[in-house]
Amino acid sequence: MAEVKLDCMYETCPIPLLKAHKKLQTMKVGDILIMETNHTCSITNVIEWAKKQGYDADYIEIREGEWEIYIEKVK
Amino acid sequence: MASNRIEELKKRRQREIKKKKSQVPVGVTFLIFALIIYAIFLATDFKSSMFWIIGLLFGIVLQRARFCFAASFRDPILVGNTSILKAVIIGLIIMTIGFGIIQFISIGDSQDFDIENIPGYISKVGMHTVIGAILFGTGMVIAGGCVSGTLIRIGEGFILQIVVLVGLIIGSLISAKYIQFWDKCIISKTHVVYIPRYIGFSKAIIGQSILLLLIYFLADLYHKRNNIMK
Repeated sequence: MAEVKLDCMYETCPIPLLKAHKKLQTMKVGDILIMETNHTCSITNVIEWAKKQGYDADYIEIREGEWEIYIEKVK
Repeated sequence: MASNRIEELKKRRQREIKKKKSQVPVGVTFLIFALIIYAIFLATDFKSSMFWIIGLLFGIVLQRARFCFAASFRDPILVGNTSILKAVIIGLIIMTIGFGIIQFISIGDSQDFDIENIPGYISKVGMHTVIGAILFGTGMVIAGGCVSGTLIRIGEGFILQIVVLVGLIIGSLISAKYIQFWDKCIISKTHVVYIPRYIGFSKAIIGQSILLLLIYFLADLYHKRNNIMK
């Protein structure tokens, strides 16, 4: 039940999504991935992708123009 | 709906976050600037004032909708997601009908017209289209946005895209310098393909709309089939 941080600052689409995909493969079921990004398109991109994969996902804005995306590996 | 653990994490992080500065004053300042520019255009150049308003509205729609042309062509191949591609296809259907109506009003349903007189941007198609498309497509995926995408991200404050904008301007200048060379090599040997000339307006518009609808449903099918990234 670990929380894994992933730094995606200053990365444009589709790098954050590819990074998340790689990271999620190494994680165990039940772990939560915390992605930090400042690219707004990644939010929709990553969350839509994660939900399509069947993962739980959500995000919050942590600073001006910086967001954290949470993805729970449920399966 | 996110799971309980994500909700918990969100609440925990929310407590750690400092209160954000209000961005309303900046927004109001920019709105006033936009209105001043509009007023100047109204007084001097009415046509530009219309372009200014249409441009601002375009910007708002593109930014709010996250409408990214780069993603629309990249995501189907990369992650099997065609939701933005479908939006582009819907846009093309609306454009087909809208421009069809405008062009129909100006020339009528005859097959005998001069292409120069048709409103719209109808240009020659050939190998230069293919070369340009490959160059632009490769560039926009590496740069993380096409022209409109780059501009909205600069507006959002994503500094990296300013580098892209500089590249974009350099590229445009180079292409403007060598356009005559390409014109002599390829473009002058190609022709305008304008379907209404061969089958008439109504058939062309209906035919193109049906074709686009077909592509839409194929994209939808592709979206459902490609559920897992390989």
